[in-house]
Amino acid sequence: MPYTALLDRQFLEKLERLTIHWQKSFNGLVGGRNRSRFAGGGQEFLDHRHFHHGDDVRAVNWRAYLRLEKLFLKMFQVEPRVPVRMLLDTSESMTSGSGVKFDYARKLAAALCYVGLVRLDTIVVRPFADKLGEGIRCGGGRHQFSPVMEYLSQLTTHGRTDTLAVAREFLSIHPERGLLVIISDFLDDTGCERPLQYLADFGHELLLIQLWAEEDRMPPWLGDLELVDAETNARLELQFNEASREEYTRAFDRYAAELQQLAIRNGGRYVGVSAGAPLEEVIFGSLVRARVIA
Amino acid sequence: MYFLNLSLAQFLALFGTVSATLVLLYLLDRSRRRQVVATLRFWVAADQSSVVQKRKRIRQPLSLILQLLSLLLLLLAIAQLRFGTPLETPRDHVLILDTSAWMAAFSKNPGSLSQQRRTLMDEAYQRALAYVKAAPAADRIMLVRADALATPVTGFESNRRKLAEAIFLSKPGSTALNLEQALAFARKSQALDSGRLGEIVYAGPGRISQQQTLLETTSQIKNLRVLPVADPVENCGFRKIAVDRSTKDADIWEVYVTTRNYGAHSKPVVVTLAFGGALVGARKLTIPPGADRETTFEYRTRAGGLLEANLAPHDALPEDDHAVLELPAEPAISVLVYSAHPELLAPIVTSIPRMKVVFRKPEQYTAATPAGLVILDAFHPPAPPQADAIWIEPPAEGSPVPVRAKLQNVQFERWCSDSPLCAGLRTRDLRLGAASVYESAPDDIRIGQAKEGPVIVARGGKYKTVVFGFHPANSDFRYELATPLLFANILRWMAPELFRHSTVTAGSVGMVSADLERDVRPQDVRVIQQDGTSLPYTIRAHTLRFFSGTPGTVRIILADRELLYSLSLPELWETKWEAPPGIRRGVPNLRESVAASHDLWQELAALGGLGLLLEWLLYGRASRLLRRTAHLEMVKRRVRKAS
Repeated sequence: MPYTALLDRQFLEKLERLTIHWQKSFNGLVGGRNRSRFAGGGQEFLDHRHFHHGDDVRAVNWRAYLRLEKLFLKMFQVEPRVPVRMLLDTSESMTSGSGVKFDYARKLAAALCYVGLVRLDTIVVRPFADKLGEGIRCGGGRHQFSPVMEYLSQLTTHGRTDTLAVAREFLSIHPERGLLVIISDFLDDTGCERPLQYLADFGHELLLIQLWAEEDRMPPWLGDLELVDAETNARLELQFNEASREEYTRAFDRYAAELQQLAIRNGGRYVGVSAGAPLEEVIFGSLVRARVIA
Repeated sequence: MYFLNLSLAQFLALFGTVSATLVLLYLLDRSRRRQVVATLRFWVAADQSSVVQKRKRIRQPLSLILQLLSLLLLLLAIAQLRFGTPLETPRDHVLILDTSAWMAAFSKNPGSLSQQRRTLMDEAYQRALAYVKAAPAADRIMLVRADALATPVTGFESNRRKLAEAIFLSKPGSTALNLEQALAFARKSQALDSGRLGEIVYAGPGRISQQQTLLETTSQIKNLRVLPVADPVENCGFRKIAVDRSTKDADIWEVYVTTRNYGAHSKPVVVTLAFGGALVGARKLTIPPGADRETTFEYRTRAGGLLEANLAPHDALPEDDHAVLELPAEPAISVLVYSAHPELLAPIVTSIPRMKVVFRKPEQYTAATPAGLVILDAFHPPAPPQADAIWIEPPAEGSPVPVRAKLQNVQFERWCSDSPLCAGLRTRDLRLGAASVYESAPDDIRIGQAKEGPVIVARGGKYKTVVFGFHPANSDFRYELATPLLFANILRWMAPELFRHSTVTAGSVGMVSADLERDVRPQDVRVIQQDGTSLPYTIRAHTLRFFSGTPGTVRIILADRELLYSLSLPELWETKWEAPPGIRRGVPNLRESVAASHDLWQELAALGGLGLLLEWLLYGRASRLLRRTAHLEMVKRRVRKAS
């Protein structure tokens, strides 16, 4: 499937001026864009310090030694290539109801991948539900965008969400810290807070993008309802009225606020996105304001 | 309280059906629905907060009640709920206004000078207008003028001004009232066009032409109302005047005058007859009430002219006190006789009174002649006459029919039997001294024949011709009785209008019947109006009937007879119809009760619509739509804030 099916060319052209940003400093391979507060083998001079045993003699400032007869070591600023990983929720809950969430999530993931490719970042995209799926590593410029689009277009939803299992698997596969973008509805019956905290504790910078459909936040139905969980097929019969709806919405908003606090508390960021909002407005509005991209 | 459009049972059935449907739809709309959701996590919290209710209980009962109430109001509006009684609903009436000839009679006798002279029509106007005013404003009325025919003047009309104008424009006609037909027409009109059945109202004195089966008909009409017009008037008038030629003397007209007393008292009258303005006769009669009297006059004249009959003194209805008949002049034909011996033919041709004979010498002959008949006595004209002609002993070389032989002492053998020319001719042992025998053509009529051949031949064509092979006045034939009869037959054959018998009758317009002889053939009958156009007629059992609705002259032309009808007399009633007991009479008083009537359907419809709108706003999709829109706005605000 051609990528233009998800994003049109005009929209991609608008994305080319954007860059993915992260807040933490990571050790990484030289050649990235973001400056690190760690000194290292960069190109740009940072400072001098006294030479200690074991330092690389190639970094000694020999001119200063000849004049002062003391060994000073030149320090350079590191501009590492930070690994960017993107987890895309492909559980059944993403297609429940009107089914717009999953489509919206794929478009959003594609847009972020394109932004990263334009700035020569390397992004690993992996789907997840009850476990991590086979992902795709994209890098090498915008010309490598087609395989990403093809990959995203072929994704389907299946299974239930098990965030804890996914977090464990992710940490075992990707020990190197980096930026972790999670695009999901975060509707895990067992809760997402603990696994996300694990990921943050292991040094990953979390960028949580929570997607919801309108009926997820404010169900339009009233009266006697028989509800079926899209992932577990669990059933619940209840009478739903205006008061119940208001309580439902409050509970949903509380959960979203908890996710936001978790992200901020761990130095990450949180963006709540309604699937009814235009994609362009979300990218150039919500994500830019959250300094996810600039 | 009542319904205009539905009965109570119909209304309840309809309301029950619609209500049941509504409740079913309501329950269906609020039945348990299966929804697939992303998670049950937040639903559980919502379920715990909701009040536990019985599952079978109807939720939002106010919505259902509001819907049912609105529906009830709308159905009441459709049924047109009204206060009062059903009599107050608009109805369609038929007003039959009597415009028969009798309505021209003055309601007061002319002698009573203190009273203003008003006709029965004026009285009927008054009653009809009173009824129109008394009828409720919403009622519609159809005006029908009734005489011999029922003529609708308006449709079912609620405009009182139009109705009043139509009533005032109604004038008495010339025929008698056929009330049965008018009532039948009114019933049919109500059945076909009426919305809600109203009354059939008859305004008039009830003087009808024939009783017929009116009594049975009117007793079956339950919605009949009579606005009676009193007609205690004294009237005598001509019913019929017949004028015929006397059988004794063709120059004498016999005039038969029939007069009727329509009043309640015996009355002396004088019948006078005038011809051409000169009084020719007068008779004094005393006519008992309700009786006819016939009187006869004789008047000798050959000339045509106007015969006027007058009845004195004049009474309540002057129209039937005077009649005028046009008497035809006695027909005659001019005959030119070219003869060298006129004294021989004079006894024969002058014996027929309708022939105006002029004798001339053969030398004075001209082919072009204004005469209707030319008799050529034994000479050969240079050119044949341009008229019907009788040739007597024409020379062989100039005979219109070729001469086969000229014989002496001829024995006359027989007359033809199949031609009207020979009707009544009888001779025995007739011998002719000399006679020409003709070579007749196949189409020729051989009137008289000798053993050797025809001696009298008739030939048709543009100009009819009869050829005598002998001289009828200069032979033994002059002694025969058949001689004048033969000339009369020839004259009837050549000019039949001379012998057509005329009867003049002054009668009344309407249906006219005339008795015909048994030998009259239908193809010989023509009925012609004054303007020359044919009038439809029927012949049944030797009686010819036709109808003329307007005064005028109608001619019935038969083969040898003409009946001239001068239809100038009004057709008056034969009997008085009395409304059966139980029939409503007089002008009703409906206005006051109807004034209290009030239409409610507008208010009911508005309330019903308002109720449905309220329900839609409070409980319908409108409220859901508004809530969702408000919620979407709130979500957007929160997302922006969070970002």
